[in-house]
Amino acid sequence: MKLLRVLFWAAVAAVAAGCLGGVALYRGEHINSMWLVLAAAASYATGYRFYAKFIAARVMTLNDQRATPAERLRNGHDFEPTNKWIVFGHHFAAIAGPGPLVGPVLAAQFGYLPGTLWIIIGAVLGGAVQDFVILFASMRRDGKSLGQMAREEIGRVGGFVALVTVLLIMTILLAVVGLVVVNALKGSPWGAFTIAATMPIALLMGLYLRYWRPGRVLEISAIGFVLVMAGIFAGERIAQSATAAPWFTLSAMALAVGIILYGFLASALPVWLLLAPRDYLSTFVKLGVVLMLGVGILFVRPELQLPAFTRFVDGTGPIFAGKVFPFCFITIACGAISGFHSLISSGTTPKMIARESHARPVGYGSMLLESFVAIMAMIAACVLQPGVYFAVNSPGGVVGATPAVAVATISSWGFPVSTAEMAALARDVGETTLFSRTGGAPSLALGMAHIFASSGGGRALVGFWYHFAIMFEALFILTIIDAGTRVGRFMLQDLLGHAWAPLGRTSWMPGVWLTSALIVGAWGYFLVQGVRDPLGGINSLWPLFGIANQLLAAIALCVATTILLKMHGAKFMWIPCAPLVWLVTVTFTAGWQKILSPVPAIGFLAQADRLAAGAQTAATATLVFNARLDAVVCAVLMALVAVILADSLRVWVGILSGAAEARVREAPFELSRLQVEEL
Amino acid sequence: MKRFGRLLLALLRELADENAYRRHLEWHGRAHSGAEWRRFSEERLRAKYARGKCC
Repeated sequence: MKLLRVLFWAAVAAVAAGCLGGVALYRGEHINSMWLVLAAAASYATGYRFYAKFIAARVMTLNDQRATPAERLRNGHDFEPTNKWIVFGHHFAAIAGPGPLVGPVLAAQFGYLPGTLWIIIGAVLGGAVQDFVILFASMRRDGKSLGQMAREEIGRVGGFVALVTVLLIMTILLAVVGLVVVNALKGSPWGAFTIAATMPIALLMGLYLRYWRPGRVLEISAIGFVLVMAGIFAGERIAQSATAAPWFTLSAMALAVGIILYGFLASALPVWLLLAPRDYLSTFVKLGVVLMLGVGILFVRPELQLPAFTRFVDGTGPIFAGKVFPFCFITIACGAISGFHSLISSGTTPKMIARESHARPVGYGSMLLESFVAIMAMIAACVLQPGVYFAVNSPGGVVGATPAVAVATISSWGFPVSTAEMAALARDVGETTLFSRTGGAPSLALGMAHIFASSGGGRALVGFWYHFAIMFEALFILTIIDAGTRVGRFMLQDLLGHAWAPLGRTSWMPGVWLTSALIVGAWGYFLVQGVRDPLGGINSLWPLFGIANQLLAAIALCVATTILLKMHGAKFMWIPCAPLVWLVTVTFTAGWQKILSPVPAIGFLAQADRLAAGAQTAATATLVFNARLDAVVCAVLMALVAVILADSLRVWVGILSGAAEARVREAPFELSRLQVEEL
Repeated sequence: MKRFGRLLLALLRELADENAYRRHLEWHGRAHSGAEWRRFSEERLRAKYARGKCC
């Protein structure tokens, strides 16, 4: 039996190595997507079986005899021992956002290979390790948050820096995901109607749950889903109607203003009315679509049309400027390693873990699944013809404002595409044009529509599937916007309440409106900046978001390194320290280049200087100011993380030299009394 | 298959907060009513949306 097991895992490891090698070395015409699927699945299985098991057994010494906070502090609310697969699903639903879908689509401009390798290797050695160690650390500390652990393990500075970094990241995140929605819906009456229809549907769901059938969340979510699907079908009719279509054909600026107003309302209105019902619906749709995409890829097994590498690894890419190192590694954050996950791993999840050993499937395993979602997004982007991919994702300011100029520019790069081809594609999906629909969402929707339509329904349903994918992306992006605005408002109220007590009261409406307006104003400013940017905004905002997110991961890895150092001395500190060194190298290089590169397409300051040297108008002055503001934000983020790195180094040197006490702050051991039937 | 179906339903109920509501009723020894759901929901949602959504 043991021999069989050894042979099985040797075969899995051989498949992982063979497929990774095959993907990396194959230079033929096209490669089938199954190579990527197999390389990822076998690598994840090997990492989970050997690396995660080693960390669980030797480093964390997980012990099922030890009562978890869910058992010790059980209160029927947050702390509740829960079946491990339910916690797994809960945790995955919480960590999976638009990041693993959009990032790989944008990074595909380098070809499929750099992004794919980073997603697989980054997740196995970095992202999953971060999520697992932080979950373990929080579980052993009564479910404490990352900020609390940073304060206790490193010092007060660490806790404060973590809080400020989270606020900054949220501001950039909300702006950038808002921009993704704007670019997906501009000039699209079908898409705009479908998303607009989700608002009254969410209100109906809220009222149904509150007054008509209280507590029937699954029931109303099913009704809401049927209504949203009806909205997609109705959207097609609206787009074809000469009277109704102009009402829903909106400019980018009109959409941005609409999203800002929506963010304000969702933050100020009672949470049960709009935010919560939309969140329930969005969670179920998200899980369903991820499953559908996985099944669709396995069923269709499409060939990748993009090459392994494109010429844009040299930094001259049209979607965002910058060389493959470091920009590929900050463009793909969530699918490989994401700092935001550490907030979830030290949030609800550690309070639900029933047995310590469950932390491995939940912490490490969920991240592997998220990474697999990123692989599917990469496949969905790469099944498009390269010419189509670049025509959709390149801003007009780079490839040319008219279709004729754009196709000439893109074809001159060696990726042939014609206006007739683009017009036919737009017609198939019920749009007037697909040129310069930057942000990643439209090209992902095209790829998904291609896969879904090939699985069943054929060409006739491409339009439906395209708008289904757009609805799915916009639905949970808007959920992030309203939830994020609300969280930011709470943080701000907490802060301002120290200055004047009424501002801190969540029941005092003027305070609620003021703080909501301040938070919405902060991310709304960056959103409008992205809309006005001639390069489409994604070029500047997505790298900024990637840098911010990876810097938060650096903070989480500093906490993880400190904890393992206190537990075992230097013996195992390389486990979180290796990804930390990589992330610090990547993010500081990217940050440095974004601020100081002399190439205007990359460096914010060079861009500002070039604009300042040209003809001066009010619009130019705004662009100059925005570029300098982006440079300042980037510098502030880097400085914050430099502070926490220095603080961590001080603690590590102290412990290693024996000058400081290595005090492990775990909750005391208590024997578990949980019965098997309780799990 | 049956076990998988049960697990899937339990996951959906967990994501829908229906399990948490059931636990709330058991913990406090109360019966389901519209007012009870609203009380539970307000407390639950306040805690839930004090945390950011992941990207």
